[in-house]
Amino acid sequence: MKNKIHIISNAHLDPIWLWRWQEGCGEVLQTFRSAVDRIKEYKGMIFTCSSASYYKWVEEIDPELFEEIRKLVKKGKWVPVNGWWVQPDCNIPDAESFARQALYSQLYYYEKFGTICKTGYNVDSFGHSAMLPQLLTQGGMKCYVMMRPGMHENSEIPENLFWWDSADGSRVLTYRIRDCYCINGKNGIDNELPILRDRAEKTGHGMMFFFGVGNHGGGPTKGDLDYLLELQEEGFEELEYSSPDEYFSEVCAGQLDIPVWSDELQHHASGCYSATSMIKQLNRKAENWLASAEKWNSVAASISDLPASTKAFGDAWKEVCFNQFHDILCGCSIMEAYDDVRDSMGYAMTVAAKEENKAMLKIANFVDTWLDGVSDSVTCNERHHCRNLKFPRPVIVFNPHSYEVEQPVRTYHPSARVTDCDGNDVLFQNVRSSRSDGTHLDTVFNAKVPALGYATYWLWFEDSKEIGDFKKAESSLKCDGLTIENEFIRVKFDEKTGGISSIINKADGSEFIGGETCVPTVIDNSEADTWAHNIFKFDKVLGTMKLESIDVVENGDARIVVRTKHVYNGSYLKQDFILHSGLEQIRVKCKALWQEPLTILKMPVTINGNNPISTYEIPAGIIKRPCNGEEEPALNWGDVTADGKGVALVSDSKYSYDCTGNTLRLTLIRNSIFADHYSDRPYADFNYTDEGINRFEYAVYPHIGQAEDSGIQRFAATFNNRLVAVPVGYHKGKCLKSIALSA
Amino acid sequence: MFKPYKLKDHVCRFCKMFSLDDPAVPKVLFEAESVKPDLAGFPYPLPSKKADYTCSAKTGSVEWYGATNGLTRYDAAAEREEDIVMYFSADRDLPDNNVKSLLADGENLWVLTETGATHIEMKLISAEEKADILRAESEKYVDRRGMKSQKYLREGRNLDSILPYGHSDNDGCFTAAYAIGEIFRYAVYKREKGIDHPDTVTAKKYATRATEATLLLMHISGRGDGFVARTYLCADEPVPDDGIFIKKQGDKGYVLETTCSQEWNCVGAECYAGAEIPARLAKLYRDLGYSDDDIIYKADTSSDEISTHFLFFKIAHDHLACDDPELDEIIVSTCKGLMNHIIDNGYILKDFTGKSTSWAKWNEEYFNSDFGYVDACLNSAEVLMYHLVTMDITGEQGKWRESYDYLVNEKHYADYAPKHFDRLMQASIQMEFDYPEDIMYGDHMLAVCSFYGLCTLEKDEKLLEKYRMGFKSWRTSLAREHNPGYDIPYMLACPDNDVDIEALATWFYRTNASRLAAGVSLIGRHDVAVKKQLMGNEEISVLLPSDERFISKYDRDPLYYKNEDSGGIMCVESAYVYGFAYWMGRYYGFFE
Repeated sequence: MKNKIHIISNAHLDPIWLWRWQEGCGEVLQTFRSAVDRIKEYKGMIFTCSSASYYKWVEEIDPELFEEIRKLVKKGKWVPVNGWWVQPDCNIPDAESFARQALYSQLYYYEKFGTICKTGYNVDSFGHSAMLPQLLTQGGMKCYVMMRPGMHENSEIPENLFWWDSADGSRVLTYRIRDCYCINGKNGIDNELPILRDRAEKTGHGMMFFFGVGNHGGGPTKGDLDYLLELQEEGFEELEYSSPDEYFSEVCAGQLDIPVWSDELQHHASGCYSATSMIKQLNRKAENWLASAEKWNSVAASISDLPASTKAFGDAWKEVCFNQFHDILCGCSIMEAYDDVRDSMGYAMTVAAKEENKAMLKIANFVDTWLDGVSDSVTCNERHHCRNLKFPRPVIVFNPHSYEVEQPVRTYHPSARVTDCDGNDVLFQNVRSSRSDGTHLDTVFNAKVPALGYATYWLWFEDSKEIGDFKKAESSLKCDGLTIENEFIRVKFDEKTGGISSIINKADGSEFIGGETCVPTVIDNSEADTWAHNIFKFDKVLGTMKLESIDVVENGDARIVVRTKHVYNGSYLKQDFILHSGLEQIRVKCKALWQEPLTILKMPVTINGNNPISTYEIPAGIIKRPCNGEEEPALNWGDVTADGKGVALVSDSKYSYDCTGNTLRLTLIRNSIFADHYSDRPYADFNYTDEGINRFEYAVYPHIGQAEDSGIQRFAATFNNRLVAVPVGYHKGKCLKSIALSA
Repeated sequence: MFKPYKLKDHVCRFCKMFSLDDPAVPKVLFEAESVKPDLAGFPYPLPSKKADYTCSAKTGSVEWYGATNGLTRYDAAAEREEDIVMYFSADRDLPDNNVKSLLADGENLWVLTETGATHIEMKLISAEEKADILRAESEKYVDRRGMKSQKYLREGRNLDSILPYGHSDNDGCFTAAYAIGEIFRYAVYKREKGIDHPDTVTAKKYATRATEATLLLMHISGRGDGFVARTYLCADEPVPDDGIFIKKQGDKGYVLETTCSQEWNCVGAECYAGAEIPARLAKLYRDLGYSDDDIIYKADTSSDEISTHFLFFKIAHDHLACDDPELDEIIVSTCKGLMNHIIDNGYILKDFTGKSTSWAKWNEEYFNSDFGYVDACLNSAEVLMYHLVTMDITGEQGKWRESYDYLVNEKHYADYAPKHFDRLMQASIQMEFDYPEDIMYGDHMLAVCSFYGLCTLEKDEKLLEKYRMGFKSWRTSLAREHNPGYDIPYMLACPDNDVDIEALATWFYRTNASRLAAGVSLIGRHDVAVKKQLMGNEEISVLLPSDERFISKYDRDPLYYKNEDSGGIMCVESAYVYGFAYWMGRYYGFFE
């Protein structure tokens, strides 16, 4: 039957949203029990359910129920969909996360049910990134079910059924749910079925009818199942229990002529890219740290007796994958839920930290750091990393990236001289430490480390008598009032606004900046709920923050630091603008005390030139978007380029940008009420998503040429996943002092 | 239009096998001390586990590591990354994989294994020298009355033990592709060396023989209606049980008994076979003492043959027959005969049954069937290409134009082409196969012939755009092969699109200088990841150089996780895979 209406019995389950995970877990158990019972009672019924993490809960807590489900899966009565750990947000996780979602989930499904999921299924996620077809197909899924954005939010995306292509040529057959993934009750059914019948008639192919109580679980009720039987008897012969897998297979057996969509699926909830900065920061950090730590664990396991910690990493990643659930990562759950999320992410990062440390020290043990005569040292001070050392102390710097990286690193002691493993002096600077004890100084030096490799550096203590004569490495830095420069760029600060008024490209004398840049701007957010439903631009400017102070606080060989402090009502933002010798970017270290309810803080850059194009990093790719002021999701960086010259903003924890004409703005803070749905706000002593101290970093990245050709991707990756300096002891070893392990 | 790529001289492995008691094997090889190499910190992935390496040797700056499962060559200074670590394995390079000892022999190497010894010579040769070596091998060992598919051996690896018979289901397709390569060689030599140069004369001789053999298949049935045979045998060749065979007798043909003919219930069925075969073509068997009554031809011909034949008509007409009017007349009349057959029979190849063969159907009825729905995108392009070629080489419009316009304007055949990817993906969902891993790789050559022909012959901009879109819709699966035989026609057809030219260079550099189908030991390699597909096939995750993967024709997925394809050490394959790509590339200026 060509115009069949496939009844997809399901129960949308939010494991966290307006409740904590413990309640979500209970909800899963009850819903699964109920679904099994209904299947037994109603002939032909098939139940569809996503999210491997839910099955794992049931397996652990109620093995008998799990066994019943396994049997039903074998019979085709229960169909697992979406080979991912949860239904994640589909904009914010990076490509590695999506790979891990699929890896752990499809393996789990294969192990427990003997099959993997064929259909991707993110019916509630708030928008879908443009490279998802690749991420789905590489995870074994050729078909996809989604709903948001709805037609009222984006009517250009085809209705019903379409091929969705990503830039690499991957393709998924996609079904766009018309209105709701959890239709229930007589009225809901009566409203939906005639519309689907009409669509099936017009398109010549079947439709899916998503049926069952959802969000807090539930599934099909007896009353609704009885009502469907009535409808079938009364003439709705095209109604048939089915699953998304069966639907797609049946539709593809026909001769279709369906449209192709080759763009992202946006926008639904534009506030979700910035709501609740804490979870965004934890997500970025955990993704990078786990990926990095596992690389070092693999390297160490291949060259030493250290075991590969595959299971530990898997367990840690599963926590991260769980916390990428759309209502968690999008920052729209209740405040209490984020206490749990913080603990869970803390567990994941503790695994990363411990494994990385273990692996790096294991690798370091193979490195030859021996110095002749070091064994003759007689005092504790000489053999350990204390003052008055006779010998320089070795520090091994590790690079987790697949390309050579040059980047400043910090160690927690001052130095008088730094050399690389060939004895060349390198630029360094003693900078104020975070402690108020001892020397108060740390060493920052420029390290250059081969691809997925390490390099050994030697640091002499400040008052060592053994240094001898040496010629300091040359610095390119200059500072003249509020104008600072290195070999690449000259940066001028505005003494009135505290922003950057000019960045000159020293190679050709051209100007990058064409307007307001790095002047923190406060936006009204009072009309938006936490999701910002139906709001796609944040453009109601309340004002810019007032500059309270601007000072050059460091002016050395390795770096110059300009510190600004801006205030707004009872809030402040401190920014350290750091320009390093040898680097083409400005790193900005920020600390904000934010106490403004229902506001947004944005950081703009405005460029010179005509015909601006904005470009953003998205999971597994980049995307060009119009400069129309709409709030856009992106990963590590966003960019605006005009006339072959541009500036990107890179961040260590943010995911939301807008671009109007030549001005690109990074959303730093969005202070909404927790889980404020459609801004229905009966009075309470509200808690806000970003109130209090916020620490984060961003970078200003000027470049020539298009963003994608500028090296921004690598820079942003190294900005987020930095070189790691590990002080080590003196030992003989068979490995070189510097090596690329990636080859 | 293209910046020529300089294909340099490149090392090529020549491995000669010896039995353990062969006096040519140096005694010191048996006495050589096996010292396990220290590979800790080795900077590249190794084909064998480090623990499995047992011995090493050095030839110049190159290091060799023997293992219990193969041999590794390490040239740290190699210019190309893929040449730094090379893997040698059984059966192609070694008698078996258990390497016992190694002995440097100047720049060469002796390898002792459990069951024999190998002498490995890494010769620096040019891409053209490789083409010469391969042609010589095909002409001497693979040729079967001018046809070039494959031959089988009585004794493993011993080419001189070649069996005189041995056909392929697609003799016509492979021989046409061989002919195209050799015709382009002739065209290159004529341009570069002059028509009277001995190399040019030799090239013409081989190109002509392959051309005549291909054309003969279009006459051999004696039906006289343009029907094309898959292949043919002579009376003293065994008839394999793999299809429909028709024995000629006077002016009749009779279907022989085979499993297939029994299933079709047509054993003994008769058909006309009395049409005259052009004497110049018939010489290929008559000169060997066979008469027409000795001929047994294979029917149920597929579109594989027809599509390569039409591209062959075009190339042969343009570059070979221009110097041979008699041959050109045969080419043109044969082309017209075949085209008439297809049009007059409602766009099918009509078999002796009066119905279409299994796979040569280009009509709307087939396109609207369940199976033909997916095939329509390729088959419509095929039949349109046939028309353009026919118009081009006959210089006539008339019937051909009328039919072409009918298919384009009334049947909308040109609109099918860009839908290939849509329909294939649809089928992959419905039939649960992985794309592009689980598809029919044999279709690639047909798509290349069809779209290359269409894109280079059509002048109408709108149609041309559709044909280019059609070609591009095949790129996902074509591109990952990095096969210059596909990528060069693609660049000619769609010049605004780039291909990975370095990967093509690797293909030429690393193709073996013999088509002995000896396998490699891919299964078990330590440095390749394997993926399992929905249909049960297994694929490696990275395309290996040609000399480290199985030898096949163009009709296999080169990423298949398997050691060998056709008959292994008992089989030698046609060199068309190399000549087709190399000489076409040379002719059009891709390579210096």
